Formats: sequence, C-alpha cells, structure tokens
Amino acid sequence: MEIPYTVTARKDTGLFNAKVGIWLFLASEVMLFGGLFSGYVFLRIYADYPWPERALPVLPGLINTFVLIGSSVTVVFAWAALKMRQWRRFQFFMAITIACAGIFMVLKGLEYNAKWNHQAVRMDDFTIVEGHTHKAVIDEHGHFHEVHEGDDPHGTPFKANAVIFKAERVSFSLVRAHEPWIDSMLSQAEERHSKLGAQKQKGTTGIFLYGALVDFEADADKRKAAEEDIVKEYQTAEKIARKIGERSLYIPDGTPLSYALLKKAREIFIAGRAHNAEIRTGILRTKWKDAHANHPDKGNWEIADEAKITPEDTAGQIVKVISTLAFGMDPPVPLVLNRSWIKRPIPAKAKQAELRDDTTLAGALQDSPLALAVDAVDFRWMAQKAIEADKDPMKVIESSWIFSDKNEHAAEYKKLWKMHKKRIEKLEEHLVEKYKRDKLGNPKRVSTETERYRMGWKDLLQYAKAGEEGVSPGEEKFDDLRPSMTDGFTGPDHKNADVKRLHAFPELKVPHEKVAMASAFTPKWNTYYAIYFTLTGLHGLHVIGGALVLGYYLLFSKGLYRRNPEWLANRVEVGGLFWHFVDLIWIFLFPILYLM
Amino acid sequence: MADTPEEIKKEQKKYLLIGLILFIFTIVTVAVATVPALDFGKHGFDAWDAIIGLCIASVKATLVALIFMHLNHEKKSIYLFIVLGVLGGLSLIGLTGWAFIDPIEYGTATEGTGFFSPELVIEEE
Repeated sequence: MEIPYTVTARKDTGLFNAKVGIWLFLASEVMLFGGLFSGYVFLRIYADYPWPERALPVLPGLINTFVLIGSSVTVVFAWAALKMRQWRRFQFFMAITIACAGIFMVLKGLEYNAKWNHQAVRMDDFTIVEGHTHKAVIDEHGHFHEVHEGDDPHGTPFKANAVIFKAERVSFSLVRAHEPWIDSMLSQAEERHSKLGAQKQKGTTGIFLYGALVDFEADADKRKAAEEDIVKEYQTAEKIARKIGERSLYIPDGTPLSYALLKKAREIFIAGRAHNAEIRTGILRTKWKDAHANHPDKGNWEIADEAKITPEDTAGQIVKVISTLAFGMDPPVPLVLNRSWIKRPIPAKAKQAELRDDTTLAGALQDSPLALAVDAVDFRWMAQKAIEADKDPMKVIESSWIFSDKNEHAAEYKKLWKMHKKRIEKLEEHLVEKYKRDKLGNPKRVSTETERYRMGWKDLLQYAKAGEEGVSPGEEKFDDLRPSMTDGFTGPDHKNADVKRLHAFPELKVPHEKVAMASAFTPKWNTYYAIYFTLTGLHGLHVIGGALVLGYYLLFSKGLYRRNPEWLANRVEVGGLFWHFVDLIWIFLFPILYLM
Repeated sequence: MADTPEEIKKEQKKYLLIGLILFIFTIVTVAVATVPALDFGKHGFDAWDAIIGLCIASVKATLVALIFMHLNHEKKSIYLFIVLGVLGGLSLIGLTGWAFIDPIEYGTATEGTGFFSPELVIEEE
C-alpha cells in the first residue's frame, strides 16, 4: 500500500505528513528545553553560593553561534537547490552544513576538555582557588615532593590531589571491593617493597570461610583437628586457597592479596548467606505452620511471638559468614589514594580511612597537600559568609589562611591582593567620576562583587605584567596590559609565554585539612556547571542527531532524487526544520550561559 | 512559501540577508555584555543586561522561525502546534514563580552559623 501525502499536501491541512510530524516533535522539544530553562532559572534564583556569572570564555561560544547561524543559511540553501533540481549545489551546501556541525562539536569538545582538566578547591574558610594541579611523588617515608617540568622523579608521579595514607592493615568488603583500586594498591606496595598478606584471626593459623554447612562447624574439636591437618598439608605461599568440604576456603596466614582471592571469598560469602537464609526460611515456615495449627482462631499478629526464630533454633545448622577480609602491610608503606575514592572526609591525624567500596585502611594519614599553580583566587563566597555573620568582608578576607604565615607562598598573594585592591579603588573612582553620585551622596555605580572579590586569570597576568613594568593601577598603560578576549581561547592558558616568564600563576600548597571540596569544573563542582553540562550536552546531542540525518540525505539519497526529487526536497525541508530549531535553542543558550 | 524555481531564487537573497542580520545581532549581544560603554543599568551584569540579552535573542529566534523555518507562509494548523508548544514551555518557566510565592524560609538564628570556619571569627576592635 502506498502511503498518501508523502509528497503532496493534504487538502484540508495543506501539509504533507512529515511536516505535521516534525512540528509536533518540535513542539514537544520546546517543552523539553522549556523545562530545562526553568530548572536553570530556579537554580540561579536559589543558589546559596555566588553564581559564576560570565564565567565562561566567550570566544568559543561566539564562534559556535556564527557556525550554527551559518549552517542554518546553508541548510536552507541546500533545500532551495533541490527545489531548483540542482543536485551538485545541494551536495555543496549540505556538506558545508555538516562540516559546521563538526566544527561546533570540536569547539564544544575543547571547551569541555578545558573544564574537566581545570582544578577547583574550596577551602574550609570558603576561599576558592582554581588552577592546574601539579604532579607529585612520595619518597619511602611517605614525604610529599612536587614534580615540575624537567624533573627526574623517583617513583611514579601522581596528580597532587590525593590522600597519602600509611597503611598497616587494609580490610576489604568482599561484596564491594573494587578491582582497579586493589590493583593500584598492590602495584604501589610492590613499588615500595611491601607485601599485603592475609591476617589470621586470633588463635588460628588462617582464615576459614564456610559457604555451606561443614560438619565440623558445630564441633570445635573437630574443627581444630581439621585446621591442623590443613596447616600441615597446605600452608605454603603458593597454595593460596584450598577447599575443605563443600564450597569452603582456607586462607593461610600471609596469603598474598589478589582480587581473584577476594572474588572466590565473595562467592563463598554469598553461598553461605544463601545457605543460612534457606535454613532460616525453613525453620520459620515450620514455626508459622505449627503456630497456626495451635491457634486456629488467632490472627497473625497474635501468634507472631510464638513463631519467632531464636538462636537455639538455628544452632548447629547455620554457618558463620565472613564479609570482610583483612590484610596486613609488611612493612607498612604510604599508599596514594585518589581523592575520589574516599568515602568521607579524613580529619588531620586520622588513624583510619574509608573508601567508597567499603575498604577500610588502618594506619596514619601522611602530609597530603593539594599542590597547584593558581590561576584564580575567589573570595566571593567568603565575603558572602562574612556578611551573613555580620563581619567586615575585607577584614575576614585579609585574615584568611591564604594570607597567613601558615601559607608558605603568602607573600605572593599579599602582593597580588594589594594591586587588586588598588585597581578596584581606581575603578570606583572612575565610576564616580563618570556616573556621579545620587542625592544621598552614594555613587550611582559601584564595582561588582566579582570585580571586588575575585582575581581571575586575566587579572593575575595583568598584575604580573604591571609588576614587571612598574606600572600601577590608574595609570593609562595599566589597562593595556590586560589580556584580550582572544587570549586563552578556552580558559586560563598556563602555557602562555608571559605567564611562564613572569610566573604569573602563583604556587599554592593547600594542606589536606584545609580542603573542604576539590573538584574539576564538572557537574559536581556546583549547580551552575551541572545545568551548563545538562543544557549544552543535550543541545550537543541534538547537533549530532541532526548532522546524522542531514548526512544521510547527503550520502544516500541520489536514488530518491532520481525517482522523486520533490519527495527528497520535502525530507530535506523537514530535516532542515529540525536543524533550525537546534540553532534557535543555541541562540538562547549562548547569552544565558556565556554572557549572563 | 516560494515553490517555483524563480521564486526560490529570489528567496535566497532574503536568506542571506537574514543570516547577516543574525550575525550582527550576535555581535551586538556580545558587545552589550562586554563593552563597558554599552553596559546598561548598574555597573556589571544586572536585570537590564538580562532583559536586553534575552530580547535580542528573542528577535533572533523569531527571525529564524519566520524566515528559515518558513513560518511566515505556514498553514494555520502549524501555528496551533507552536502556540501549544510555546505555551507549554512558558508555563514550565512560569513554574519558577513558585520561588516568589513560596520562598525557602531561612531560620533567623544568628548563633552557630555551623560550618563557618572558626578561624574567620576575628577579634572585634
């Protein structure tokens, strides 16, 4: 059967099928993005932190706007070419459209990449610093050493955003232990000439895991005899595990840690749990049956006490299950734990660390600073907190850790802050001069909070250049030293020649106990980045989807063009409508996310 | 909407013109947000900048919809879809009104600001 109205319009609506379909779809898309824009407005209104307004580099967004507008023109040209039956011309414009989609996604990728590789740290006093994390190594004593370009490090360098913990004993949850983390610990132990070996329970020669009822479980003497036999026969390092009875495992003391061992132990743990559950269910079933038989007139809640299961009921029938296995480190060595592995904050001088896979490390926390080259210092949140607590924000800022003697680089920050304050002072003077004061004598325009409390990377570079040339804020030349819109295409440029020469991005070592939150600029950093990635990510998927459809028309439609060019023109029109919609969404996304 | 080749040829000039206008409006949007002399309202970003930015964006979006998406020549039924879609979208944005009708109420206690670092409590003069 031939489907009607694929080429010609229906008389009553005046539309061909696909057009009705695409418009209905676009109407639903309007609502989808409407909901997300609504989410954006909500998040912004109720953000309890200073919203990062105008935080993104404008240039990539601006170029992408031009690219999408350009592609909207070319897609409509491609459709017009089909209408005029010019196949070559259609191909030309459609190819440009798809190339535009490619450029858009590449720029988006560069932008995302810059975010993912840009470190942000919130200190416990609400100072926020941003920058590039250094690499570091630790020596055999667990002492932290930064690794800089050209250094020859002893040991494997790690990102200096880790927790260093000297572990004596590591306990793994059999159910949740995460293989890559175990591998990392094992290779670190090996590198530092240490071994992780199973730690026996008191009074035994090894660990027994019982997956099913083994007859000697109830009989202590029998168990001891069995243990002694096994010890005699199998206690060698090579034989990690040996079956005793059905689904049971014997782990001699000192058995080296491996994920395979934990996996085997997990199987036994699960088998043991299943066995116990089966026994308990059986006992309960009988008990309820009996209770009902004894009291036929009573309700369940009245006989519940009688049907209760007690330890005596299960005695001798259920097995002891072990859900964690402990391994001792011999000798204890420092382990580098990725910050993202950590389950909850580890206080200074902590004796224990817990990972997200329920691994517990016992030992001692080592000096674990977060070392970075700082490209922005942001006191806006601190100022907000100070005002909330009825304190003078400037006083609070200047008595904060970053300017204190505890920070070994404090002098650099003091110097930068001094110049920053001077710059803002001059800006305020300029604003009064230009826009005057109101009737009450207050300036009509004042500096923004961002200007006052945040030193961004362009500020830092400008101050470094000014310091070099001996120019101070207020002098005409000072403004010329500011990096332009084209500098640092996707954000702070740590490879910039001036930045390197002037050492414009100062060093900082944030002590472990000062780090309240450390994150790249990903959705977890704040709600702004969460909604930024949601909106642009969904839009990016639309760009990819649209490009795939248009690409299909470009590459696989010659046959249809020969048979029925009008039909193809209709298809391209519908694909083009979607493409214009994608452009239309970006027209709103660009100012909202980049300029507001 | 143009349907004959001759008409379409004429239309193409219009598409180019609209593309150019969109480019110019984009530059205006960026200029308003970045050039200090074009800063409306208070110094820096404020409601006026948001209103102006969104107005320009709306004009651009309207041009795309009318000219590139041929809405200026489209049938009535299409308008119905769009009106319903836009109303749906706007009503979702309208939901943000709850933020004003039913705001989050903060406690009035000033003591024990909780996680505010003790180091910051500086001596009063």
